[in-house]
Amino acid sequence: MVKNITIFTTNTCGYCQMVKKYLTAKGMGYDEVNLDQHPHRRAEAQNISGAMTVPITVVTKTDDTKEVIVGYNLSKLVPAVN
Amino acid sequence: MSDNKTHQLVIVGAGPAALSAAIYTTREDIETLLFEKGVVGGLAAVTDIIDNYPGFAQGVHGLDLAESLRTQAERFGANITLGEVLAIDTSTKYPKLLTTDGQVRTKALLIATGCDYKKTGVPGEQEYYARGVHYCATCDGAFYRDKKLVVIGGGNSAVQESIFLTRFASHIDILVRSKIKASEVLQKELQTYIDNGKITIHLGISPKEIVGNEDGVYEVVGQTTKGELKKYQTDGVFIFIGLQPNTNFLINSQVELDRYGFIATDGNLETTVKGIFAAGDVRKGATMQIASASGEGATAALKIREYLEGRLHTSEPRELEVNP
Repeated sequence: MVKNITIFTTNTCGYCQMVKKYLTAKGMGYDEVNLDQHPHRRAEAQNISGAMTVPITVVTKTDDTKEVIVGYNLSKLVPAVN
Repeated sequence: MSDNKTHQLVIVGAGPAALSAAIYTTREDIETLLFEKGVVGGLAAVTDIIDNYPGFAQGVHGLDLAESLRTQAERFGANITLGEVLAIDTSTKYPKLLTTDGQVRTKALLIATGCDYKKTGVPGEQEYYARGVHYCATCDGAFYRDKKLVVIGGGNSAVQESIFLTRFASHIDILVRSKIKASEVLQKELQTYIDNGKITIHLGISPKEIVGNEDGVYEVVGQTTKGELKKYQTDGVFIFIGLQPNTNFLINSQVELDRYGFIATDGNLETTVKGIFAAGDVRKGATMQIASASGEGATAALKIREYLEGRLHTSEPRELEVNP
């Protein structure tokens, strides 16, 4: 079960919009960290994912385990949030 | 998604060609289902500013254009599904699509899957993907504030994305295999960044290796036309060396592809399989312009309407212009 979802995004990232649209369409809430508005959190996104890209989606389960999805990747996002 | 229903029209893709077609077909009350595996809006949606799409005097952000096209298509009833078409079966009366959501059958099919950025294939490219190797400046540029970058490519995308990346990077080396092939207006804009020392162009350089360590990329090795190796220190690499069509799902189908993977069509934009049409960048002879893709989408929609009404006249295949 999903406890919460955090998405690291930027203003100009089309793939970020797609992740948000997918979650919204599924009726799932999420927290968004916009790295253009919060540049000091860029290192956090990089540390969590090991990647210098957005979107980074962090799915925290009820047992507090985390699944990190790099990019807009439906084959990983769908099972992670369902 | 698997159902016994036979859809009137399925469109594979949701870029400008697909969404333009959907605007036309839904306004004709043709039930239209679109499948998009990536971004609605296609490559246009991940382009910063589009300056050559008619009707936007000051240019338009790719993301805004994509959103506008999507809203317009959905206003008339287009149904956009986020999923991937894995294969098509043309052995039955109506094409059958195997998708990530199950099987779908349709009377008419429009393939408007567009293109994706080509890969260089050099060592390090795959290994350092998203850890120093990137294909989307609008997504990943922000990670390179005050850092050095290398851009590989010399066409419109390479130049336009390099200019976008100057917002973040301290300096950009552009490695170009032959010469800059971007449009004149982009080249003039590029010159201002060359003049102020923000961008340096290196002509006649082909990438040979992207070198990095556990911290990411630190060097690109290029080769001159004389075979001499040159090293470029960098914090990251953005690659824009052209486009490749998204047609892998058609490889075992009867839809004819050219040797580059682009779809052959006739004057009706119909492929070698009756009832299956193609439009936009994925089509052999496409000009890789958003305005052209939108126009082809509209044309395909009108031809599909004729096909569904049983009054589409066969068009002789024609040889189209050279591929990119």
